Amino acid sequence: MINAVLVFNNNGQPRLTKFYTTLDTQTQQSLIAQIYHLVAQRPSSACNFLPLPPLLSQGAASSTGPSDAPTQITYRTYATLSFIMISTSTESPLALIDLIQVFVEALDRMFENVCELDLIFGYETMHAVLSEMIVGGVVVETNIERIIAGVRSQEGTSGKRKAVQAASASLGRGAMPGLGAWR
Amino acid sequence: MRSRDPYRSSHQLPTYSALRWYWVEHAAWDVIDSQRDPIPESGSTGGRRAAGTMFEKSLYDLIKGLRNHKGGEDEYVQDCLRECKAEIKSQDMDKKATALLKLIYLEMFGYDMSWASFHVLEVMSSSKYLQKRVGYLGAVQSFRPDTEVLMLATNMLKKDIVSPSIPSLSLPLVTLPHIITPSLAMSLLPDILSRLSHSNAVVRKKTIVCLYRLALVYPEALKLAWPKIKDRLMDDQEDSSVTTAAINVVCELGWRRPHDFLPLAPRFFELLVDSGNNWMAIKIIKLFATLTPLEPRLTRKLLRPLMNIIETTTAMSLLYECINGIIQGGILDGEDNLQERDDVATLCVGKLRGMIVMDSDPNLKYVALLALNRIVTTHPMLVSMQQDVIMDCLDDADISIRLQALELAAGMVASDTLQPVVNRLLDQLRLATLSSPISGSEPEVFPSAQFETEDTEGRKTSGSSTIALVVLPNDYRGEVVHRILDICSQNNYSEVVDFEWYLGTLVQLVRLLPPSETEEHWIQSSSTQEATLHSKTSVAFRIGSEIRNVAVRVKGVRLEATRAAESLILIDNRSTFFPAGCNVGNDVLGPISWVVGEYADDLLSPGQTLQSLIDLSNVSLPAKTLQLFLQAIPKVFVRVYRSNGLGDSWSSETSLLLARVVGFLEALAAHPDLDVQERAIEFLELLRLSAEALHPDTREMPFLLASVLPGLFMGLELNPVATSAQKKVVLPPTLHLDVAFNEDLLGLFHTLDNSHFDGSQYDALQDFYYYPGLDPPPPSKPFPSLAPIEMPFESSYQNILTDSSDPPGATERRKVERRERYKDDPFYIAPLESSSGALMSPLLNPASGDALDVDSIPIVDLKLEDGQSGRLEQDASGVRRGRSKKMEVTADETFGIEETPPHDSLACLPGGPTGSKRSLLQVDSSGLGREAVLAEDDGEVEMRKAMQNVEQMRLRMQRASERIQLQGTPAEGTLVKKKGKKKHTPVPPQAVGLAAGDYLQPAETKKRKKKQKKQKQQKEDSVELSGEQ
Repeated sequence: MINAVLVFNNNGQPRLTKFYTTLDTQTQQSLIAQIYHLVAQRPSSACNFLPLPPLLSQGAASSTGPSDAPTQITYRTYATLSFIMISTSTESPLALIDLIQVFVEALDRMFENVCELDLIFGYETMHAVLSEMIVGGVVVETNIERIIAGVRSQEGTSGKRKAVQAASASLGRGAMPGLGAWR
Repeated sequence: MRSRDPYRSSHQLPTYSALRWYWVEHAAWDVIDSQRDPIPESGSTGGRRAAGTMFEKSLYDLIKGLRNHKGGEDEYVQDCLRECKAEIKSQDMDKKATALLKLIYLEMFGYDMSWASFHVLEVMSSSKYLQKRVGYLGAVQSFRPDTEVLMLATNMLKKDIVSPSIPSLSLPLVTLPHIITPSLAMSLLPDILSRLSHSNAVVRKKTIVCLYRLALVYPEALKLAWPKIKDRLMDDQEDSSVTTAAINVVCELGWRRPHDFLPLAPRFFELLVDSGNNWMAIKIIKLFATLTPLEPRLTRKLLRPLMNIIETTTAMSLLYECINGIIQGGILDGEDNLQERDDVATLCVGKLRGMIVMDSDPNLKYVALLALNRIVTTHPMLVSMQQDVIMDCLDDADISIRLQALELAAGMVASDTLQPVVNRLLDQLRLATLSSPISGSEPEVFPSAQFETEDTEGRKTSGSSTIALVVLPNDYRGEVVHRILDICSQNNYSEVVDFEWYLGTLVQLVRLLPPSETEEHWIQSSSTQEATLHSKTSVAFRIGSEIRNVAVRVKGVRLEATRAAESLILIDNRSTFFPAGCNVGNDVLGPISWVVGEYADDLLSPGQTLQSLIDLSNVSLPAKTLQLFLQAIPKVFVRVYRSNGLGDSWSSETSLLLARVVGFLEALAAHPDLDVQERAIEFLELLRLSAEALHPDTREMPFLLASVLPGLFMGLELNPVATSAQKKVVLPPTLHLDVAFNEDLLGLFHTLDNSHFDGSQYDALQDFYYYPGLDPPPPSKPFPSLAPIEMPFESSYQNILTDSSDPPGATERRKVERRERYKDDPFYIAPLESSSGALMSPLLNPASGDALDVDSIPIVDLKLEDGQSGRLEQDASGVRRGRSKKMEVTADETFGIEETPPHDSLACLPGGPTGSKRSLLQVDSSGLGREAVLAEDDGEVEMRKAMQNVEQMRLRMQRASERIQLQGTPAEGTLVKKKGKKKHTPVPPQAVGLAAGDYLQPAETKKRKKKQKKQKQQKEDSVELSGEQ
């Protein structure tokens, strides 16, 4: 299963944190920091798999068989953002790379030419996209059309609108839902 | 954006290059920044919020504010948190939700929001969907299983689960996996189960996954849910994404309870062959990998389709998983030798080789190495045929790939490939040391390119010149050193042919050790101090232990090993071996000092060694090293004064030496470490006595020095003992380890505490401890400067430091010398001209000598049998493998049969798994493994039938007993019951079908696929329709 999905930018600032197993906030932060440390070291030509950071390697089982412990970290960097998936051995490493790709493409469709800023302001939408794809650490959908349809059914096409308006509204936020789209 | 193609020939994905991406962070921020001034913050409230009330921010303001308070973010955030605290208590749901949204955002940066859990519930209960969604998001991100308010949520969750609106209904389904507790699961289970038959596929697939997570904390749930999930799985008309979700869940469950899913194998097979969905196919193959070990017949069924996929698919991920599944499913290592099996193995390895060679994609390289690493345990021969490409990966620019290749190299070395591999790694380290800034200060040390690195064939590895100068991280360098040691020491050195070469390598490794500063970065996370010590010392300590091991085990090179140790311990060399500023090497010194002491007779210059050991700078060494030093000092001391001979100046020389040793020991007499202190004082007293016994006018060696002191260390030779040997010592029957010495021990302590010292006693004690008759001299007292004892300086291990290139004949010369030395040593088997070199070859080869050397043969045999009983069993493998060995390697001594052959150096392996400790992020699915949850439902029908049978039988017997009035009936009754129970797990009908072979043939695939596609299309349409409503 997928244990966590993380997104952070080139400076290690988190943009999305989703842990499918409970972890206290402090440990979450240090885990993110450790993974960022690993990602930051890697040249762009390197492969998309990270060694386990110290926090995770402590309890990792030595046997090759499947277990509950997360054993693989797959990441992929797009421009300023890195997408990370921490998973157990029941996931295929190459398929996870594709899954990240699907996630990013879905975001791209939602936000129309997505950029980091969109994801900052539209992070609720980003969570919604993710929860259409992964539930409780298990992949439920890989078809972009359906993912988009699922998110749209929740919020219409407001996700992009919100972010765009947040970034470019010139008449104050009276005209802008400001992510409080329910107003 | 990278435009690398994904690993799937996608059925669903549009092409990747069609996308346009604009990652214009800075441009966008400029837009925002330019707007900052025209929008006064107070104006943001709009008309709806009354002027003068609390100033509040939207999420947008918060993010912008964070941006504008660079440097003082924390202060700003604290302000915001305070505002949020106030806002979230507001009655206005809008305000509450906004505040919560801000809190969730800040939580992402590590600001705790657990205090707001009640307010999260409030927002979750909002009637507006988007507010509800914020509430649920808050729950996902901040609730922990111990969050108390969770109990209050049960009713609300129940209500939402049965909501008519699909988005609202989805919220609890995706949230529950994060917050589920056993009690919550119990009360929500019926409602969630009902969602499995919801008309919308989106709901069904999410429900399946939700039920899986429920089952993890509440295994009973699976018992009820499994039949329904199975229905979804078996249903041909089911939406493909629901089937995929079910397969994904089964894949998670599969490895825990493979037996329960075996009956479904035909369905999985059908889906694998027919579905055409690569995502699902990958999961099914993963699942089969756990099933095939249980059902050998599956292997035969799967082989053809898997090979078919391997040969035809264009999706690299599917190809890789097929190969992986074949490996992990044990298809390659069946006992019957099918021709097909060999074909598959060759095909797999060939494909993997292709992935490494053909594609420049580092990901494929990495996973291919990963797969090869799994194959190498069963098929080392096949893998070592790919040695060339694997060796190239050792020099890959990517550290991850290198590490994998390193592991693989360690797995496949044989005695003939060992030296080239290790030399290659050494070259790598050497280059890394060259390029790292620390070494810059002492460039003259490093050009020593090759120290005794001649291969068996005498060719030198020349890979180094082609390697680009990559700055290697230190932890990688540490890993390389570990691996080199692993490779060489495996199977009790069975693969090492040339131990002199190995010693040379070890000495070089000491110099190539990475600095430890960066290692500490990693250490801070490890919890226990012991672990810290362990990981920090391991690399250097292991090298020292290896030298010690070689010295102990390989008598043939003991002299060389001792000399190597000596060269490392000499104080003059230390600055070269261990560059100033980093004390990595210090851990080497401990085990090495033991070698120097134990084999002091082999020392080249014992005088200098002793001086190095008692150098005052040593006082600052770690306690663990000092303990070993202290033990070595008297040994070397004995060697020094005995070798000096009883000349005129013997007495004065020895007393001077003694004074210096005493001086060093005095410096340690007050060491904070108790062990060091104790040993120092013990030897100190002994040597003081010796000093008193030594009169300047006597020409005779005092008894104390002549035999007492040497007698402490002489005697039996120390042999390696297996770590498990101690456990096998049988306790004498009279020894009771668990019986208390004194039942009333606590009481004794109690009375002791109560009795106070009277004054005089106290004074006496005070005097005893604080006013000693003899004050030890202060530790800083300078040593009397003595002319250093001049010793010839010709050891090869010292020469390497000053003169890098070994004189060409030196090795040869040493070999000849050694051969001479061990000519008559029964442990040493002289090299024979014939390459066989086996133990018995002198017997079989009449040309080797004019007559059979009758003496030599039985000695070897006898040694194997009498002296080291118990060695045979353990050594058997080592001797057999190392047929061309020149050296005799002593194995661990132990009793009986060694179940787990432990190795001295194994104890120092890096990052040894801490055993039972759970990993972070780990989901605990062990509950599923314990309870037989699924077994019942699979056999439910059979069970019912069986129960009926039992009942009928019982009735019949009862009637019979009533008729005949027999006594034995009850016993028979239970017997039948047992029989009924056995029917619990009959061979299910599906499994029988499996044997009969009614799998769908691939030929039928296309037709079905088309049909399914059509259905899928229809389903999709309907989904979209319902989504837009």
